[in-house]
Amino acid sequence: MKDEAPAMPTGGAWRTIRQRGAAVANRLVSLWRHSLQFRTVLITIGLSGLAILVIGLYITFSIASNLFESQRDRALDASNSAAAAAQTLLESSAAADRGALQSVLDQAVRTVQTVSGSSAIAVLRQSGQETSTIAPQDRIAPALTGVISDELQASVRENPDRQFWQSVSLGDEAGEDPGIVVGTDLMVPGAGRYGLYIGYSFAGAEQTLAFMEATGIIGAVALLVLLGAITLLVVRWVIEPVRTVAATSRRLAAGDLGVRMPEKGEDELATLAASFNGMADTLQARIRELAELSVMQQRFVSDVSHELRTPLTTIRLAGDVLYGQREEFPGPTARTVELLHTQTERFERLLADLLEISRYDAGSVELGTEPTNLVHLAGDAIESMHDLALEHGSELQLVAPGGYLDAEVDPRRVKRIVRNLLGNAIEHGEGRPIVVSVDSDEHAVALSVRDYGLGMTEEDAARVFDRFWRADPSRMRTIGGTGLGLAISQEDAVAHGGSLDVWSKPNAGTVFRLTLPRSPGTPLTGSPLPLEPDDPDATGPVEPARPVDAQQVEVRDA
Amino acid sequence: MTSRVLVVDDDTALAEMIGIVLRSEGFEPSFCADGATALQAFRDSKPDLVLLDLMLPGLDGIEVCSRIRAESGTPIIMLTAKSDTADVVRGLESGADDYMVKPFNPKELVARIRTRLRPAPEPVVETIAIGDLVIDAAGHEVRRGAERINLTPLEFDLLLALASKPQQVFTREMLLEQVWGYHYKADTRLVNVHVQRLRAKVEHDPDNPRIVQTVRGVGYRAGATT
Repeated sequence: MKDEAPAMPTGGAWRTIRQRGAAVANRLVSLWRHSLQFRTVLITIGLSGLAILVIGLYITFSIASNLFESQRDRALDASNSAAAAAQTLLESSAAADRGALQSVLDQAVRTVQTVSGSSAIAVLRQSGQETSTIAPQDRIAPALTGVISDELQASVRENPDRQFWQSVSLGDEAGEDPGIVVGTDLMVPGAGRYGLYIGYSFAGAEQTLAFMEATGIIGAVALLVLLGAITLLVVRWVIEPVRTVAATSRRLAAGDLGVRMPEKGEDELATLAASFNGMADTLQARIRELAELSVMQQRFVSDVSHELRTPLTTIRLAGDVLYGQREEFPGPTARTVELLHTQTERFERLLADLLEISRYDAGSVELGTEPTNLVHLAGDAIESMHDLALEHGSELQLVAPGGYLDAEVDPRRVKRIVRNLLGNAIEHGEGRPIVVSVDSDEHAVALSVRDYGLGMTEEDAARVFDRFWRADPSRMRTIGGTGLGLAISQEDAVAHGGSLDVWSKPNAGTVFRLTLPRSPGTPLTGSPLPLEPDDPDATGPVEPARPVDAQQVEVRDA
Repeated sequence: MTSRVLVVDDDTALAEMIGIVLRSEGFEPSFCADGATALQAFRDSKPDLVLLDLMLPGLDGIEVCSRIRAESGTPIIMLTAKSDTADVVRGLESGADDYMVKPFNPKELVARIRTRLRPAPEPVVETIAIGDLVIDAAGHEVRRGAERINLTPLEFDLLLALASKPQQVFTREMLLEQVWGYHYKADTRLVNVHVQRLRAKVEHDPDNPRIVQTVRGVGYRAGATT
């Protein structure tokens, strides 16, 4: 290929050029779209260029025609005088033979040359006359050869009293020049009528015009460049504050509430700056107010929780002492003691959860991360929930396809999440099996808890992480959850940079899926486990997986 | 012999209730409701164990703890309404052996107290060497050459546990069970803080420990005998 067409760019080179062209075009389009400055300058240059072009063309045309008219008038005048002088000379002669006539005509031509100032002269005998033997020969200057049209000759013949002219290009050694030929009738006594044609070159005018055009074009280009530069400066001058506004509002939006615009002068931009600053002030004040309120509220919740703990401890101790002796009490009192005991425990859990939530609200949560095997952790959690699951008739199964490296997580929090999810599944699982799946990929680990119980509608599922929310307010909390478990679990997941998602379908069950990055701070891109099960309508796991015994969980390291 | 327990808590109702629980379990409680007088109460009653509330009027519980620790190795269990990391760690660093977060139940309280008061298990051998230290198990003494190193009972138990099986790596959970008597997963910070305190006393260079060595990602191990 290369050898055949060495001068041509190869296909690759073409592609490069095309790509580069496309890149430049893309850049221009992007510049057009993104830069007000670029757009304004381009539009200004375009529109003024158009205006200058129209004006320039008009000026050129009018000057050209003016110049032409004055030159022509001068030529007509000169030609008129020359013709008159020649006619006078011819009429005053008494030549009768051919030789004399010829010399008179030559003399007349010389007179014409002198008077008109042009050397391009032709004297042509008009057609349609009787042939004369003494009539002198036609004379024609080389510059006029072939340029005098028949129409001009006919006009001169038919109107002997008038001048006629015609635009021509006159050739000489130097080249062709625009000009005109003026024709007049000339009466040669004894020889008949001749047409006198005088050529005038407008080369000088043409030069003037060309020079003027060149000057005009240079001026126009300079003007355009100047206009572009001025526009650029003006636009920058106007846009700079707009850019400042944009940058400032971006910082404000990013949470830097202290930023303000510089306020200078009393123009529109100063007004803009002033109102922007006013807005920022109000915003800052409002946010500070809310933040203070929020901090106050959080501190209140935290203080209340703390303050409640000491009396609760006393109540707890008292209740437990009574509970330990309940067999010595008569029936109703024993039952009372039992109720006191269980409800104190419940109250305690509620308080602990409330405190945990208040810690999240205050943003004072610290993760104690360590390399943790999620399968072992899930196994431990399942083991700890085993008795509760048995009570409700649900069997807990662990599905762990394998391939786990440790993930850097806070095991205490993750275990709490898993226990919350399991408790939830047991409570709503209708005694059907509950499947816990664990899987992982390069970036994340995931754990899902599937129950085949009541399930929820989509609206309910969307609210499931709300604090103290219940799908069915009339339903009892049989396990004694606090109503904060899922909210805390979600906060725990988010604190790891992970997510807790829910899928649910009425009468088919619910899936909670926890996804955590292998190390905190790595953004999640997906989850190793699907959220929606492939058997959304099943009422139980397809193959009865072996019941889980935490000790038997096999861990295959990837 | 009944063990004496000093309860330092400004909430009189709680202190009285703890007293009832302790008495029913055969302990002999004494009380102090003010941080400022706590040290004097400690000197007067010479308790076998102190239950110390973290938030006290007069003198802060953490301060009381470090003052008691300055003159005695008597086991101290902190009672705290805050389970926030910083407070717990501060309490442990000031010398508390263990802590309990309110609200706790009586069984748990009594179990912890008993663990801290239980007589050390009969030593299999009289003396064990660890690093350049010699542990006299029967005499509850640790010596480096002729110098006697003062350890609290808990620190002694911790060192003895490690030294008695010099080849074994102890996980924090194992130590929690063996030394603190927790039979379920508890706060491993207890172990971390006390290993630090122990190292500060027994190591030549605590930043480069030779006697209590860290096994990364697993736990701790006794250093080789020299």
